[in-house]
Amino acid sequence: MVEFKDVSVKYSSGVDALNKINLKIEDGDFAFVVGPSGAGKSTLIKLVLKEIDATSGEIVVNGFNLNKLRRRKIPALRRTIGVVFQDFRLIPTMTVYENVAFVLRVIDAPAKYIRSRVPYVINLVGLSNKAKSYPTELSGGEQQRVALARALVNDPKLIIADEPTGNIDPALSYEIVGLLKGINECGTTILMVTHEHDLVRHFGGRIININSGNIAFDEYIGGSNED
Amino acid sequence: MKISSMRYLVHQGFKGIWKNRMMSFASFCIMLVSLLMVGISVLLALNINRIIGGIEEKSEVVVQIADGISDADREQLKNNIGALPNVNTIEFYSKEKAWQNMMENMTAEERALFDYADDNPLPDTFRLTVHEIKKMTETTTQIETFPNVETTRSPTAFADTLISIRRVLGIISGAIVLALIIVCLIIISNTTRASVFARRKEINIMKYVGAKNSFIRIPFFIEGMVVGVLAAAGALALTKFAYEGVYAIFNDDFTLWSVLGVSNLYPFEDLFPYVAASYAIAGAVIGAVGTSFSTGKHLNV
Ligand SMILES: Nc1ncnc2c1ncn2[C@@H]1O[C@H](COP(=O)(O)OP(=O)(O)O)[C@@H](O)[C@H]1O
Ligand SMILES: [Mg+2]
Repeated sequence: MVEFKDVSVKYSSGVDALNKINLKIEDGDFAFVVGPSGAGKSTLIKLVLKEIDATSGEIVVNGFNLNKLRRRKIPALRRTIGVVFQDFRLIPTMTVYENVAFVLRVIDAPAKYIRSRVPYVINLVGLSNKAKSYPTELSGGEQQRVALARALVNDPKLIIADEPTGNIDPALSYEIVGLLKGINECGTTILMVTHEHDLVRHFGGRIININSGNIAFDEYIGGSNED
Repeated sequence: MKISSMRYLVHQGFKGIWKNRMMSFASFCIMLVSLLMVGISVLLALNINRIIGGIEEKSEVVVQIADGISDADREQLKNNIGALPNVNTIEFYSKEKAWQNMMENMTAEERALFDYADDNPLPDTFRLTVHEIKKMTETTTQIETFPNVETTRSPTAFADTLISIRRVLGIISGAIVLALIIVCLIIISNTTRASVFARRKEINIMKYVGAKNSFIRIPFFIEGMVVGVLAAAGALALTKFAYEGVYAIFNDDFTLWSVLGVSNLYPFEDLFPYVAASYAIAGAVIGAVGTSFSTGKHLNV
């Protein structure tokens, strides 16, 4: 669960990125965050990950009160969240398998669990036959699926995707969002930032529209694929 | 921490050394040279101390007693001298004994020169040894103020030279050690910075998936420590080589030195465990501490 109460962010440059935002995303929700470039979408994501702190207001994520969270407890918060970035951020010197396994090593998972869990999630995103490939040998869509597998592998309660389809072919974008929908159906909360209105219209669901640091619109809309 | 994670981190540490080999090699060299210089000055100081110790044991101060004083006065003087804090042993050496000793050490021709002398020209003396050679001059000055003391003779010149060498060496090596430690830390910290830069993508991802700071830092610590220990091993080999070379020269000329009351140098076997342990510890600690400077602010979540 993600909850924002009167959250504002003012960057040291003087930019007011968010103005008194109120927002609640329940466990199991799927929400699109939309809005023009510079609206404050990435700022919202950074707050959830505690990459930055709110200038004012209160934030609770997966039971962690971020206003009171000590720096050394940040890893514990982040272990409950999976992140997918627009630019994939795969490690080029590691194979697909290693890129995914890496996450579990970092959180000190047992070797036996790593050996069974990693192939499972790689299979889930449909890349079993590419497990030994390096990221440069994959298409953009495939790379983003690896990133998705990486976000999924430690079974987080929440997955955050900041414009995950921004760098890939439109046709493949539907595939990525389709995968996220599937993950959501298994109970994981998803927060996906995008400015591709076609995608949003196609899938439907909860739409949070941010404009100049304010929530302009927060509603459920029906998707065209559900007609 | 799981063994598999530890293995992974150690592996990452070694990989970092290789990826970053130019800088690692620079760290290695500067640490090796530093350890070597520190090690050699410490070994030099140790041996000088040993030599000074040997001289302290052997060197005698000769106190010449005024002619014809009473036994009671002489006993009084002996007690006075013996009461001085720096005086270790004191022994009376009569002029008869000195004469006899001198005669025994002479060849027949030399002895013939003294045949005409029916009077013993030698004085009565006290022979004393001191605790600390560096206070010898102070002690003899004190003794000369006592009544019935003619003069004193002491072999201070060589000891004084050694003592001043030891002092200069102490100052120089202190300064060198300090400078080298700083240089080492700077180089290692830059090496680590380069290594952090080379691995920035991984580190960035590690932070997002909830790696603890300690986890992110461990490979760099290992990197620094391994380079430190390798430098220590190199320094140890060079020290052994250099020391044994000097030791051999000293040993060959030993008769020359022993005339001066110099005892032999420590054999390297006796020093080896201490040198090896000190190098290894110093190398590992400097390596690890050096990395922590640059990992500190770069790696915080
Ligand atoms: N680190 C930063 N320092 C200063 N200003 C920033 C920073 N990051 C973002 N901004 C500004 O804050 C506003 C919101 O940015 P962002 O949240 O990245 O927007 P979006 O992701 O919706 O495009 C923009 O005006 C942007 O220029
Ligand atoms: Mg953005």
